[in-house]
Amino acid sequence: MAKIIVVTSGKGGVGKTTSAAAIATGLALRGKKTVVIDFDVGLRNLDLIMGCERRVVYDLVNVIQGEAGLNQALIRDKRVDNLHILPASQTRDKDALTSDGVEKILDTLTKDFDYIICDSPAGIERGAQLAMYFADAAVVVTNPEVSSVRDSDRILGLLASKTRRAERNQDAVKEHLLITRYNPSRVDDGDMLNLDDIQEILAIDLLGLIPESEAVLRASNQGIPVTHDAKSDAGQAYTDTVSRLLGEDVPLRFHEFQKKGLLSRMFGGGRR
Amino acid sequence: MSLNVDRASMAFSFKGGMLPMTVMELTSADPERIREQLAGKLSQSPAFFQHTPVVLSVEKLDEPHLALERICAVCRAHKLLPVAVRGGTDPVKQSAWALGLGWFPPQEIKPRNLESVAEAAPEAPIDDADTSAGAASGGRIYRGTVRSGQQISAPDGDLVVIGAVNAGAEVLAAGSVHVYGALRGRALAGIHGDHEAGIFCRELRAELLSVAGNYKRLEDIDPRLLGHSVQVQLSDDQLSIAPLA
Repeated sequence: MAKIIVVTSGKGGVGKTTSAAAIATGLALRGKKTVVIDFDVGLRNLDLIMGCERRVVYDLVNVIQGEAGLNQALIRDKRVDNLHILPASQTRDKDALTSDGVEKILDTLTKDFDYIICDSPAGIERGAQLAMYFADAAVVVTNPEVSSVRDSDRILGLLASKTRRAERNQDAVKEHLLITRYNPSRVDDGDMLNLDDIQEILAIDLLGLIPESEAVLRASNQGIPVTHDAKSDAGQAYTDTVSRLLGEDVPLRFHEFQKKGLLSRMFGGGRR
Repeated sequence: MSLNVDRASMAFSFKGGMLPMTVMELTSADPERIREQLAGKLSQSPAFFQHTPVVLSVEKLDEPHLALERICAVCRAHKLLPVAVRGGTDPVKQSAWALGLGWFPPQEIKPRNLESVAEAAPEAPIDDADTSAGAASGGRIYRGTVRSGQQISAPDGDLVVIGAVNAGAEVLAAGSVHVYGALRGRALAGIHGDHEAGIFCRELRAELLSVAGNYKRLEDIDPRLLGHSVQVQLSDDQLSIAPLA
């Protein structure tokens, strides 16, 4: 039985797809058989971030509508053995997703995989609700700004009521907070919400903190999930995040502003 | 013959209504004792005694005969208007009718569980909203964070939230609202018009505070009170916010 994890946020552009790709990659690198599904029908992005856009033939909607088999639509990742991608359709819209169809796909995948990562679209409408409906756990991606925190709060309310687990009165969906684009120096300047404020409002466990990093944009544009960039701060932060998801106790990094020393200022060093 | 009655020719029409009603639960049949207590209450909250209609409940009394006329006179002297009597023996019922008052059968006694309001169906209009005591029965305790977009209500009594009420969330109660955490969303107490209801919270950040329809927006709240434990109550139809000592 696979564990189904939805990566969600409410607000768009906070790093859901980047995080879904990075976490799925991290889990696969740790030997877990993982599939990552793009639920953002109509605005397909995951395949770009995963670098497999040239290999998409069939997609989620084709499988739901019986035009292709699941195995035909699954794309094997080039870099990691245990990782598969199920892309979204770019030409349809979210109405093409049906609850029965999604359930059938998840039921099939759960037999063959250890982890199913659902990359949710932004918003709280049908696409987002279907992405979260069958989840066992949720990674709520939040940026250190008020609108993102409020939207995450809204999503947490939906996770507690509009999921299969909630409707069946099973154990609640396990909620994890993932803070992305955190810039400790801007937090110190008061431009960004700090970690404690976000945690106080959302009141859920912190799974990880990803610093704002040039490595993320570079990784997106190259189509290589940032987890592979082991030298980068963001790559390391996602690796830590995956370890915590697997139940390991890893100390938090990158949340405090490190003043540059004299040498690094002279020679232009620093985290990249 | 047509069943359609021309509306213009009708002198009245009957409508079902649910009105907030104060029940005066008598625990003594002695008009003098009632007079003393009313005089005390009148000095505490004169705003309440504005020819307020009340139902005299005699269910807790074990007396076959009541000096109903004298009790009613005492009430009227303190600007309370008895409109009906609830419970009591047959002679009580007869004397209520003789005085031009209505009579209601005794209230069915149901055990109430504070934690579960799910099955608390709206009751007969007169039963709840014991405005003089502030807190009505049929309250609700909610544990956890009330999140943006969620609405938690206690339509029959007080609402207690053990957790925070986040921005974009709304908590409502017929009685008072108590938040043991930060109140960042909207809180509405006394939604059926209970002027004695209040809002109490551990950390005031509310977007909106309202008691019996009198409201203040975050912008109207004295910034010095923000972040503090406060109590919000009505005095002279104005919301007053005071720190909780």
